[in-house]
Amino acid sequence: MSVQADREPVVAAPGYRPHYTTNRVRNALLSLAGVVVVVLFLFLVDGGASIKLKQVVALFAIWGIATVSLNLVNGVTGILSLGHHGFMLVGGYTTGLLILPAATRDNLAASARSNLSPFAIGLSVENMLRGLGLDALTTPETLWVRFLIALFIGGLVAAVFGVIVGFPSLRLRGDYLAIVTFAFGEAIRLLASTPMMSSFTNGALGFAGVPSDFGKSVWWTFGLLALTVFVMARLKFSSYGRVLMGIREDEIASEAMGVKTAYHKVLAFAISAFFAGVAGGLWVSWVGTARLDLFLFFLTFYFLVAISVGGTGSITGVLIGTALVVWVRQYGDALENSYPLSTWAVAGGIVLVVVGLIAYWLRRTRRTRPVIGPAVYVPVVLGVGLALVGLFGGSIPLLQDSWQGFGMRAITLSLLLIAIMILRPSGVMGRREFSWAWLFRERIDEPTEEEKRQDAWLSNAAAGADAKDDDELEVKP
Amino acid sequence: MSMLEVRNVNKAFGGLQAISDLSFTLGQGEIVSVIGPNGAGKTTVFNLITGVYKPDSGDILYEGHSIKGLTPSTIVNRGVARTFQNLRLFTNLTVLENVLIPQHHSLRSNWLAAVLRTPGYLKQERTMHELALEKLSFFGPRLMSFRLHQPVEVLSYANRRRTEMARAMATGAKLLLLDEPSAGMNPKETREITEIIRRMRDEGGYTILLVEHKMNLVKDISDRVIVLDYGRKLAEGAYHEVVNDPAVIEAYLGKRADKTSAVARAQMADGLTAHAADDEVRP
Repeated sequence: MSVQADREPVVAAPGYRPHYTTNRVRNALLSLAGVVVVVLFLFLVDGGASIKLKQVVALFAIWGIATVSLNLVNGVTGILSLGHHGFMLVGGYTTGLLILPAATRDNLAASARSNLSPFAIGLSVENMLRGLGLDALTTPETLWVRFLIALFIGGLVAAVFGVIVGFPSLRLRGDYLAIVTFAFGEAIRLLASTPMMSSFTNGALGFAGVPSDFGKSVWWTFGLLALTVFVMARLKFSSYGRVLMGIREDEIASEAMGVKTAYHKVLAFAISAFFAGVAGGLWVSWVGTARLDLFLFFLTFYFLVAISVGGTGSITGVLIGTALVVWVRQYGDALENSYPLSTWAVAGGIVLVVVGLIAYWLRRTRRTRPVIGPAVYVPVVLGVGLALVGLFGGSIPLLQDSWQGFGMRAITLSLLLIAIMILRPSGVMGRREFSWAWLFRERIDEPTEEEKRQDAWLSNAAAGADAKDDDELEVKP
Repeated sequence: MSMLEVRNVNKAFGGLQAISDLSFTLGQGEIVSVIGPNGAGKTTVFNLITGVYKPDSGDILYEGHSIKGLTPSTIVNRGVARTFQNLRLFTNLTVLENVLIPQHHSLRSNWLAAVLRTPGYLKQERTMHELALEKLSFFGPRLMSFRLHQPVEVLSYANRRRTEMARAMATGAKLLLLDEPSAGMNPKETREITEIIRRMRDEGGYTILLVEHKMNLVKDISDRVIVLDYGRKLAEGAYHEVVNDPAVIEAYLGKRADKTSAVARAQMADGLTAHAADDEVRP
């Protein structure tokens, strides 16, 4: 799937070189093939035996929506926002409350432990549709319509909060703004637990019984992820996206070029918060319960990790990052099990050897001499030693003790993060987006032979006989 | 009617009087240079006109309307654009994107129309591209074709200056404030940029106010020259009048004790150029 499909219109002007190269048919066919592969994959996952895999794939899509929307503010506009979990909470609770089934609502109304006010319990898409006389949409078969409406309303409410948080961004920059957004995210969660808001949120108890048909369906979640990516990619490669990137590059220059930076920053916050609200709604549906501990700061932290791993500002990059984070988080529980110490020794040895090999590779590519320095042989020797002890030290009683890997999941994630930051500091994709032209290394910013000659001539003409031009890139004809 | 009128503008930063009682006007289609020693307040004048700073007193009129106290983006939309002394390009964006961003304020579609790529939006986008290419073509083939898609960070310093000038033109402004357009260019390139600035006036119809240190460029191009020193206007007029003004020579070179001119003496008496005594070249 190519994210940057139609980047710009055709312009018939001399000296214009369009973005796309000659292989448009090939690219279209490849994109089609990509979509078919994804659909086939989803079909297999959906029909497959593993319920866990299905849930993980759905979770990837939900978190993908959240990460891609956070990327609009953090990556594209360059504002460090740490309050994304707050927007997700708002959207999640709104969606959850609006979609609660009638039976659950009756139970909550009767329950003595429920703090929900009758007004809040009455708030549901079903009742709204009844009020509008659309009884046809209140049947169990049309739950999906009600869910979509609830998601949309949840997104809108979150977007309102996005506008509210966007306002400090007009006055504050950088770290100070990050603190404000962080405080906002936490304040929302704490506010939701207060008696004042309990009539809507049911305080610390939350409410269960949110239909899981959608959050755990790969089709629904991937459909909404595709919609999010579509909107974000189209936005990024439009005039609005250019302006947001301009604000990231230089806010003062943007202002001096007539850009209303205040409006555009708030706009970015609002759009980002809308999709965060949608992701929150899907997540509440995935879990089946609206609870406050679903929306801890850790959530935003995971998204930030995904963004920096994948590449700041790159939509395809942050999706790769999300996949990595979700994979480690959901399949990393095997690391937390209990194993004999000898197994741990072998695993630790392998990690050390890999570290040594990475160091070797780095020193080679960066032409550090000597290539095999202490940074290379110390981890390799230690790692091989450790692995050998684990493999052949079976008779040592100490190694037969079993040891539970508490926290190994977090440690693994950290190690991965460190490795990526060393190997590719700007993330897997950097600022680039995936495109077929990029994959096939078709560069549009490289001169043809004719242009090279012309450029060299221009440089020489500019340099003249007396002055040596060291500014221009020199190209030998 | 004058295009730009600066009326008795004052600006102080704390105890430092950066601009004091500065007045000048700019006619339609004029090229006026502001010169002066380092720290004379040339860039501050630009910042005051473009709304980065707000004048303490006085007024700035553009086409007869006051633009004092407006935000920088509003002033650009009124028709005054600038370049920066130490380049402020969008370094990670391409040349083309850099020249498209200043046209955004003329876009009439909202963000949703942009996402949906409505025909109206696409038409405006096409117009924006055409205008961008028109402005970039002022600099010949240098910034065209493959360069359009190169990120600014790989460009040479001279090409970055050119991109910045194209970007200022693309805002749709009629008055351009160029802050040292030839900085970092060799003599040949300086001559070329001189020619381009003249063409910007003759073919593009721009009015140009520029700050420059290279006197050859100033001499070749300026209709008038304004000399600033310590935030006040020292002299104004044609290049040859101004450079022979004793006060200007004194500001640039210091005063010769035995040949103090009448003007300089009068100003000394007023205590206006008290600082010049510090630079005095003693015999």
